Amino acid sequence: MSETPMTHEQALDLAAGFVLGALEPAEESAVREHLRTCPESHDEFAELGGVVAYLAEADLELVEPPAALRDRIMAAAAADLAARSAEAAPPARPDVTAVAFPTPAEREIRTGRRTDRLGWAMRIAAVVAILALAGWNILLQAQLGAARQYETAVASVISAAGEAGSQTVILTPTENNRAAGIAAIRPDGSVVAAMRDLPPTAGSEVYEAWVIVGDAAPVPVGDFTVGSNGIGAFTTSPANAPPGAIIAVSREPGPGSTAPRGPIVSTGVGVAQES
Amino acid sequence: VASVADDADRAVLALVANGQLDALQELYDKYRTMAYSIALRITADASLAEDVVQDAFLGAWRNAARYVEGKGSVKTWLLSIVHHRAVDAVRRRRPTSELPEREETPPASLTLPDIWQEVAGNLEREEIATALATLSDVQREAIELAYFGGLTQQEIAAQTGAPLGTVKSRIRLGLLAMRSALVGDRGSPSGTPAGDGSP
Repeated sequence: MSETPMTHEQALDLAAGFVLGALEPAEESAVREHLRTCPESHDEFAELGGVVAYLAEADLELVEPPAALRDRIMAAAAADLAARSAEAAPPARPDVTAVAFPTPAEREIRTGRRTDRLGWAMRIAAVVAILALAGWNILLQAQLGAARQYETAVASVISAAGEAGSQTVILTPTENNRAAGIAAIRPDGSVVAAMRDLPPTAGSEVYEAWVIVGDAAPVPVGDFTVGSNGIGAFTTSPANAPPGAIIAVSREPGPGSTAPRGPIVSTGVGVAQES
Repeated sequence: VASVADDADRAVLALVANGQLDALQELYDKYRTMAYSIALRITADASLAEDVVQDAFLGAWRNAARYVEGKGSVKTWLLSIVHHRAVDAVRRRRPTSELPEREETPPASLTLPDIWQEVAGNLEREEIATALATLSDVQREAIELAYFGGLTQQEIAAQTGAPLGTVKSRIRLGLLAMRSALVGDRGSPSGTPAGDGSP
């Protein structure tokens, strides 16, 4: 259905289901595409959509959320703000979807960027400072534990990043993911990383780290599991990872994948430090 | 004409877009009960509902700049994010369901007509409940299975045993009837809000 453009009449027939979010995924995509491209009036969508906004209020028992939820949200937003300021400087934010690796052309663009040691140190300092201090609502023991675990992992990354010839990596979430972090690639090609906001693994699931060099296939370099606090701290085996190599983290159904089977949740590119 | 409450919300959202944590907390405190209640009703799972609300407010935090003035109130925008995330969470628990690509903002053409902005600030919960009560039982069942149950029209047809075409018209006519009850003569629905959509 998403292959053939939808007619205006077909779209109108699906208007009520669309505004309620009750269409099949293919139908919903087709309607969205139709609304983007069709010049005719779509008043009925707005008329019906306006009603949906009131459905929640019409028949809802009001329940107060637990007080701790506010702390969780504010702590997560504070961490997000820290990561945002850490990402404010180059390297460029990779634009990688959960299913596609970047094209060679995109890799060339990204690998043209360099950063200096001072800028990198300041960005790390910002992350650490905000997590340690300005994560101003991190009061619960569990959250404090997670913040400490992340801080310890960040300290390992800083230590590795200080070695001569190492590269630095900002890991940013792919679309619809939140997992982010920082990493250093040691001169032997091993990756030391600190990540947060990773959905916990369950059963045999693991996260796998991959190194991608140029047009070559992704090379698995190590896997790790994540608990309920969402923190991932890992050091991979040595690999060929010259400056510009892409580090990707995917969620796999089990260990031992030789090519990514699950979604890529976070990526970053290795940037050599200027001496 | 947007209400004063809407203007205040827009001012707060502009601060959220600017990365002000205290503005996010203000927005959260204002809408947390509605947001959590919707999430809880849809997921029927307190822990999952908390995750949904957290996810939704972080989505709003990151995408506040994408809210476009004149396309519905901040409240509508925020609660629709909560609704989408809750439905996604419920569908994710059903192993056979695919998830659609969600967007934080509706397509440009999906703007709310002025009539909605005009009535938005003036409706009381009782009025809204009365409007919902004007629907026939089968219309209300279909709409609630979609909105609170997270079911697609096809799934509703399978669950209720009604033909898909019947489910579609129950939902459409039910929404139009509710619109008519809410707005009265001030709007001109493009359909006839009568009947229950039975063949």
